[in-house]
Amino acid sequence: MTGSHNKTLAEKSIKGRTTGQFRCLYCFERVIPPKNATEYTCTKCGYAWRIWWFSPNEPRIRGPVWEKHEKLSREKMAEKGGA
Amino acid sequence: MSMNRKIAYINLTTREIKTENIPEKIRRLYLGGRGLDNYLLYNHVSPNIDPLSSENVAIISAGLLVGTLASASSRTHVAAKSPLTGFIGSANVGGFFGPEMRQAGFDHLVIKGKSEKPVYLYLNNGKIEIRDASNLWGKDSCLTQTMIQKELNDTDVKSLCIGQAGENLVRYACIRTSVKNAAGRTGIGAVWGSKNLKAVAAKGTMNIKIAHAMEALEYNKKIIDQIVSAKVSKTMQKLGTLFIWGATNSTGLVRTRNFQLNQLTNADDVEPESIEEELVGTAGCFGCQIHCRGKYIIKHGKYKGTYDEGPEYTSLGAFASEVGCTSKNTVLVGNHLVNYYGLDTLETGSMISWAMELYEKGILTKKDTNGLDLTWGNDETVIKLIHMIANREGLGDILAEGPIRAADIIGKDSLKYQIHVKGMSNLHSDERPTPALALNVAVSSRGSDHLRGRPAIDLYHLPEKFLKKIYGNPVPYDGPLTSDYRDYEGKPWQVIWQEICYEAVDCLGICKFHTVFLGPNMPAFDEWTKLIYFNTGMEFTAKEIWDVGDRGYTMERLFNIREGLNRSHDNLVDPYFDEPVPLGLPVVRGKFIDRDKFKIMLDQYYELHGWDENGVPKPETLEKLSLNNEPSGLL
Repeated sequence: MTGSHNKTLAEKSIKGRTTGQFRCLYCFERVIPPKNATEYTCTKCGYAWRIWWFSPNEPRIRGPVWEKHEKLSREKMAEKGGA
Repeated sequence: MSMNRKIAYINLTTREIKTENIPEKIRRLYLGGRGLDNYLLYNHVSPNIDPLSSENVAIISAGLLVGTLASASSRTHVAAKSPLTGFIGSANVGGFFGPEMRQAGFDHLVIKGKSEKPVYLYLNNGKIEIRDASNLWGKDSCLTQTMIQKELNDTDVKSLCIGQAGENLVRYACIRTSVKNAAGRTGIGAVWGSKNLKAVAAKGTMNIKIAHAMEALEYNKKIIDQIVSAKVSKTMQKLGTLFIWGATNSTGLVRTRNFQLNQLTNADDVEPESIEEELVGTAGCFGCQIHCRGKYIIKHGKYKGTYDEGPEYTSLGAFASEVGCTSKNTVLVGNHLVNYYGLDTLETGSMISWAMELYEKGILTKKDTNGLDLTWGNDETVIKLIHMIANREGLGDILAEGPIRAADIIGKDSLKYQIHVKGMSNLHSDERPTPALALNVAVSSRGSDHLRGRPAIDLYHLPEKFLKKIYGNPVPYDGPLTSDYRDYEGKPWQVIWQEICYEAVDCLGICKFHTVFLGPNMPAFDEWTKLIYFNTGMEFTAKEIWDVGDRGYTMERLFNIREGLNRSHDNLVDPYFDEPVPLGLPVVRGKFIDRDKFKIMLDQYYELHGWDENGVPKPETLEKLSLNNEPSGLL
């Protein structure tokens, strides 16, 4: 039984892996920044992120662009009727 | 067979040593590692004992697959009644000790009594010696291991040990092996210190026979492909566990200044990418391809030129966000010192940040601190306090007592500022916007805990269809599951699934990073059936492994209930409910945990576990899990 080669969920999911993308942490849109970009503004929600490349083709979010982050967050909260 | 390793009972008072085989019936119920340790703890620790008395029992084990051809099968588990919480003491560590312990012939050690003088144990090819450790007492955790190798004239000897913090009975002293591997939580280092047990060393040449070696190798290749191709693993290969910071701090899920804030803003120097610039290489544990442990040499200040490994994500919280520091040198030095002394980094940072808030509020003054300035972000004070805690000097002596006892000593409303569950401090995460993670820390058996039930993938916004595939296997689940980490629905089941998954992986002795913890596409119950069969020849279904996990976790609950745990302990401190998070993205800003919804989650959690409304396992649940006759005294 355990010698069976039926693929498990985890084994199957290897094929579905994405590279060259990250998800915007605000709107969760998958975005593909230009190669070697160090900053990227999400085209869907407008949040600006600092980017770090952990391999030549694979980016990740390093952190927000702080000078834009607080202002944008306040604006969006105001739009929602928050503080 | 990989199962023919023994259990040894060592009495440090009488110096009597007894070894036994582990019956197959017990193996099938608990596998090994943490699960079987829970059984031993429940059977060998009498209720209501003082955790720092000779009546406590120190248990050490290697998981069922440790040292086999299963990937990352390195884990050692340690257990005792916790001197920090008074509930279950349990911690897990990687490195190379576990495989060596199995090669020396042992799977489980049950250490009782108290030695008159400092001693260490030496395990070698089926034999155990109790050796004098007077010359090791007072030595740090790295030097201790090196001195044992020299004494035994063998650089292949691997050791678990305590540093000075354990000797000084700091209630969150840990057990260490290699340069930085730590069985960090619940203060088991203090239990060893109370027994005058400085270390356990092992060297063995007893081969671990693999049942189906070729199949095991072939299958492990698949597992490795699956693991190393995941983005989370590739990122960890570069940044270690620090990588988590990018998402959590950007979103506003990082506990800062002892829970006053939820984001460390404009602190680029402590970002993982900045710390990565300091690394001179990476190191891995036995059988692991990820190598998530950074190697570094401190470049500046008093500790310039010192080599160490890490820091983990927890140290980034402990010596940056929680205490308001923004210098990576402080993180690297702080990490070095907790390694050196053998302290739980998380608890250390949390206690320092609590003291800083008390100082800010005027509850502690310079008179109490002997002139030490505890202002947020004071790097020198943070480093000084680590020394003081480990050596129990001045204010450090109070902080060494852990959250509840320290607050009792200081008084004046100070407990109100402790961020803890069951007397154990929280990770530097802010769970107010994430009900699943909040429930996880509230109900966890060890106290506030991110390693025993955290549905970390809840933060990934995964499609519900995919969540159903993960959380609907190996037992069916047709309740709600939602992609939104701010929701309350379906979260109790996610927490339970993770609790049982983590318990099972700890029984096997495989690293949590190789299961569904930080990556959703990692091996779990189905893959483990094959790993167990190819490596040991034992046949288990995925559901049977689930039952082992469920049984082990329920045994932890039984231990805690016997020590006085009730529903009131499965709770969060008031700021979770009363103080909205002030910073971060608009998706989290203003969020807090709704008391009524939390209560509903807790009720659901108990019901799904088969526990009554007070959190006590129902008789039918105990019967289903073969726990209705505990303590059964089979081992």
